[in-house]
Amino acid sequence: MKLEFLAPQTLQDAVTMAKARGGAARFIAGGTDLIIQARKSGAWPEAVINLQQIPGFGEIKGTGPNFSLGSLVTHRQIEREIRFAGALEALRESACVIGGHQVRNVATVGGNLCNASPAADMVPILLCLNAEVALAGSEGRRVVPLANFIEGPRKTVRASDEVMTEIAFAAPAQKFSSTFLKGGRRRAMEISIVAMAGVVSASPDGKMTDVRLAMGAAGPKAIRLTEAEKFLEGKVLSKDVLEETGMLAAAAASPIDDVRASASFRRHLAGVYARRVVELSWNRISELNDDRSAA
Amino acid sequence: MNSPFRVIGKSFPRLDARGKVSGKAIYGTDFAMQGMLHGKLVHSTIASGEILSVEIEEALAMPGVYEVVTAADIPAQRYGSFVKDMEVFASKRVNFVGQPVAAVVARTAEEAEAAAKAVRVEYKEQAAVFTTEDAVKADAPLVHPGWQEYKAVPTVKRQGNITNQARLVLGDVDKALKKSDRVFTHRFVTNIVHPGYTEPRAAIAHWADGKQLHVWSNTQLPFEAQATLAEIFKITPSQVRVNVTVIGGGFGGKLRLGVEHYAAAAALKVGRPVKFVSSCEEEMTAALPRQPLVIDLTTGVTKEGKILAKAASILVDTGATSGSGVGVASSVMLMLAGPYKIPNLRLESRSVYTNKTPTGSFRAPAGPQGNFAVESQMDIIADALGIDPLEFRLRNIVREGDLAPNGQKLESVSLEECLLKAADAIGWKDRRPEPGRGKGIACAWWTTTSGSSGVYVKVGPDGQVFLNTGCAEIGTAALTGAAQVLAEALGVELGSIQIVSGDTASTPFDYGAQGSRTAFAVGNACIDAVGKLHQRMKEIAAKQLSAKPEEIEIENGVAKFGDKSLTLKEIAAIAQTSQGGLIAHGTFIAPPTLHDKERTENMVITAINSPSFHAHAVDLSVDAETGEVKIHDYVVVQDVGRAINPTYIEGQIEGGVVQGIGQALSEEIVYENGIVRNPGLTDYKMPTAMDAPNIRSFIVESPSKVGPYGAKGVGEPPVIHPPATIANAIASAVSARIQTLPITAEKIVRTLTEVSETGK
Repeated sequence: MKLEFLAPQTLQDAVTMAKARGGAARFIAGGTDLIIQARKSGAWPEAVINLQQIPGFGEIKGTGPNFSLGSLVTHRQIEREIRFAGALEALRESACVIGGHQVRNVATVGGNLCNASPAADMVPILLCLNAEVALAGSEGRRVVPLANFIEGPRKTVRASDEVMTEIAFAAPAQKFSSTFLKGGRRRAMEISIVAMAGVVSASPDGKMTDVRLAMGAAGPKAIRLTEAEKFLEGKVLSKDVLEETGMLAAAAASPIDDVRASASFRRHLAGVYARRVVELSWNRISELNDDRSAA
Repeated sequence: MNSPFRVIGKSFPRLDARGKVSGKAIYGTDFAMQGMLHGKLVHSTIASGEILSVEIEEALAMPGVYEVVTAADIPAQRYGSFVKDMEVFASKRVNFVGQPVAAVVARTAEEAEAAAKAVRVEYKEQAAVFTTEDAVKADAPLVHPGWQEYKAVPTVKRQGNITNQARLVLGDVDKALKKSDRVFTHRFVTNIVHPGYTEPRAAIAHWADGKQLHVWSNTQLPFEAQATLAEIFKITPSQVRVNVTVIGGGFGGKLRLGVEHYAAAAALKVGRPVKFVSSCEEEMTAALPRQPLVIDLTTGVTKEGKILAKAASILVDTGATSGSGVGVASSVMLMLAGPYKIPNLRLESRSVYTNKTPTGSFRAPAGPQGNFAVESQMDIIADALGIDPLEFRLRNIVREGDLAPNGQKLESVSLEECLLKAADAIGWKDRRPEPGRGKGIACAWWTTTSGSSGVYVKVGPDGQVFLNTGCAEIGTAALTGAAQVLAEALGVELGSIQIVSGDTASTPFDYGAQGSRTAFAVGNACIDAVGKLHQRMKEIAAKQLSAKPEEIEIENGVAKFGDKSLTLKEIAAIAQTSQGGLIAHGTFIAPPTLHDKERTENMVITAINSPSFHAHAVDLSVDAETGEVKIHDYVVVQDVGRAINPTYIEGQIEGGVVQGIGQALSEEIVYENGIVRNPGLTDYKMPTAMDAPNIRSFIVESPSKVGPYGAKGVGEPPVIHPPATIANAIASAVSARIQTLPITAEKIVRTLTEVSETGK
C-alpha cells in the first residue's frame, strides 16, 4: 500500500492539492477517525492532505455572544475552555467524553463534524447553538448551517476539495444554560448509544423559552427535537412537562439495533435523557445566576 | 509489629521495574532478528465446512511475498491438552470463522497482510452449531466429524460434540431435595470474555539446519511450548529451544501456543526467521477467551437456612476445540459446591464443541462462571428465606478441618474471617443505605496449582546471586516474590539477586507461570536450593576454618565457627577457584492433595491444592432509568497465606477486580452465526481507568503448610468474585436479579420494566 502524504502550508495549497486528485485524496487533521476507518475497511485513500500546518484554524475566538471554533481546535481545547464554563458548559461536557485523553489531544472539532458519524458527540450541542460551518474550496467560500451540512451517516454536503475552516455560533440572548448527557457502557472510549444536548433559556417571567434540544446516535443523523422544543416553549418545569418531553423525544428517535444497544433501549434512553437535559439545564440557570449574585 | 523477616512481607520494587518503566525491556512484539520475514494468517470465513481448494498463485505473485504455507507443508499431526483435536492449519475442514487455513510470508507485515487477502480458499459449507444446548442434541451437526479418531487422555468420556462428561456425586440428592423445606432452581449464563493482555501474542521462529527450532515468544509456558512444537513437527523436545521475551500480560491467554507454531511452520518452509504478531481482530476472533457456561443449579435448604443438597447440570462451551475447557468442566464443579458444607451433591458437567472461537485458560478458569451461579443463588435463597445473605453464608461455610466437596480435608481455613472483614469494611449493617443503592457480598475458595519447579541458584564471587528459573515473569512480579523468598532464606539483600528466566535450553524445568503458582512453587524451589547451598557453604567453610561441616552455623548468609566466619561472597569466590562455583539445583513438587476419588467421575481436575479463601463486597448505586451502575466502594479480603510482597498482592487484587468488573458489566464477545460482531476494542468494552472504582484490599495471612513461609496462591482469585458480588449488590439496590453476564444497563432496565409491569 502506498499513501501519499501531503503537507500544505496554506489553505489555497490544500484546496489545490485536493482538487488535483479529484476524490482520491482525503484531508487529515487528528486522524482519529480517518485512519481507523481506513484500517478497518482496507479502503485507504491514495493521498492524505495534512491540514495541521496551515496557520489560523486552531483557535477559539470570541467573548460572547458570538464565538467561533477554528476547525482544527481539539476536543481538549474545548474541554478546557474557560469561556465555555458556565452557561455553555454543554460544549465542554460534549468534548470531554469523546474518546480518551490521547484521542482528545489530537482529534479536532472539524474532523468530528466532517466525519458525520451519527454518534458524533459535538454535533448535538452545536445543532442547539445553531452553528454554521464555513467551507473553503476551489469554487470559493460558503457558509452552511450545521443542520444542513450533515446529510446522513458519514455523508455531508462538503465537496472533496472543500476544507472546513470554522464553526460559528451565538449564545442565546436571554438567561440560559446548557447540558450534554450521553449513554454508553463505560465512562471513556465510548461511542454514544444515545447523546442528548439541550439549551434552555428563561423568560423574565420565569418560564422556559427558546428551548433547544438535539439528539445523537438515535437515528441516521443527529437531529433537533422540534416537537419537544415547541411543546416546551413558555412552559414551567413540572413532572408532567418532563414526561411529555421524554415521550416526544422517544417518538422522534429512529434508532437501530446493533451490538452496542437495541433500538428499543435507545428509544427509552432518548426519553430519559431528554427529560434530564431539560431539567438539569433549567436548574443550572438559577444556579448560574445564584453564583453571580453571590459573587 | 516486629516482623521476624528481613525481606519477605516488604513492598520492595519489582526487580524488572527499571527496564519496564524506561522502555528498555524487549517485549515479544519488539523482538527482531537479522534477515527476519513477516507472516500473516489467512482465516476461514465460514463456521463449518470442507476445504475444496486453496489457491495461492495470486498471493505468491504479490510484491514482497516469499511463500504461502498450508497444512500440506507440515506433518499431519493433531495436538491438544486433553483431546488432540487441534491442527496448525486447517487441513480438510474448518470449524470456526477465523480458523487459520494458511499463512503468507513476506518482506514486511503489510505485504504479508495484503497477500493474505489474495489467497483464495474455496469451501463446501456445512451445517454449524453455535450453542451448547444445540450441540448436545442427538441430531446436532458434528463440529469434528472425525472425533473418534482423535487421541485423548483416558479420563475423558466423549460422545459426538461432547468432549467430556464428568460428575461429582456425594450422598443422595433426590432424597435430600425431598426432605428440603425449599428447593430453588435457577439458570445462570456467563459471557465469553478475552483475557485482555496489553501485548498481543507474538513469536519469532528460526530453524538451524532444518532440524533445530529456536523460538522467541511471549509465552507463559516455555516448556509446554517446547513440548507442543516438538509434537507438531515430529522432533524431540530438545530440538526445540524456546526463549521467553518480556511479556505484556498473559492472564492465562498465553498458556497454549499463540503464534509460535505458525512462525515455526513458516520459518521451516522459507528457511529464514519469521515473525508473527496477532492483530487486534485476530485476538478477538481467534485467541483463547474464557468459556461461556450455562449452569442449571438446584439447591435444597431447610427453612433455618441449612443447605441440604445441590444438583447442577453444566454446559461448558469450549468453542471449536476442547482445549482447557475439559478442565473447566471439572473445576467448575468444585467451584459450584462452593466453600460450603453440603452433605448431598450431584453435579454433572459436559464440555462441548461449538463452531466458535476455541477457548482457553483465562485467569481462574471456571472461577467467575461457577462463582456467579453459586453466589447469586445464595443471595436469592437468603432473600427468599428472610435470612441476611451474610448470615446465610456463615451458616453453611466450611471451617477448619471440614471436608471439601471432593472429600479433601481443609486446613488453614480463613473464610469466616474473610467474610466478616469484608462485611465490616463495606458497612454491611446498612445494606440498602438509600433508594437505588445497595451492597453485595460473595466468597470463594481457589487452588494453588501444583506441578514441579526447578531453579539453579548461583552465587558469584562478588556475592551477586543469580536465580535461574524456567518460569516466565508475566507481569505479576511473582518472580520478584520468589526472589524475596530466596533473599530471605539465603540471608542476602533482594538487590543482590538477578533473575534469569524462561529459556528451555539453559534454565531448569518449571511447570510455568500459571494457576497462581509462580511465587509459591518457584519460591519453594528456592528454599530447597538454599538448603543445598547452605550444605555446600558448610563444607567449604569447614575446610577453611578447620572445622567439621556440622559445626558450622549459617546466619544471614555468613558461615560461622566460633569467632571465625566466612561471608557468602568469600565462600563463593573460593568455590569458583576450587570447585566450579557455588551453585545449587533446587526443586519443588507440591505433595498430592488427598481426597475421596469415589466422589468424582471422569474429572480431570479433582482437588483444590493449598486452598486460599476470600470475600469481596461492593457498595454501588444503580440508576433505575438508565441502568447505569456506579461503584462507590469495592472491598477485597483475601487470604494469601503469607504476604511476600504486599504491594504486588494489592496490584493483583486491583487488576483482578477491574478485570472481573469487565466480565460483570461490560465485556462480551458477541457472535452472530459464528461471526464476531465486535472484533475490536471499540466495541469489546474493557473497563477504562475511568471505570475502575476505588478498591480497598485487606490481606489475611492464614499460613499454608506447603507454601514458602506459608504463602498461598494469589494471582487468580481476585477475578473470581466481581460478577457475583456486583450482581448481588444490583439486586439489593434495585430488585433486578440478572442471571446472565454481562449485566448491561439495558438488561437492568429491561428487568426493572418487566418487574414493574408484572408486579413481581
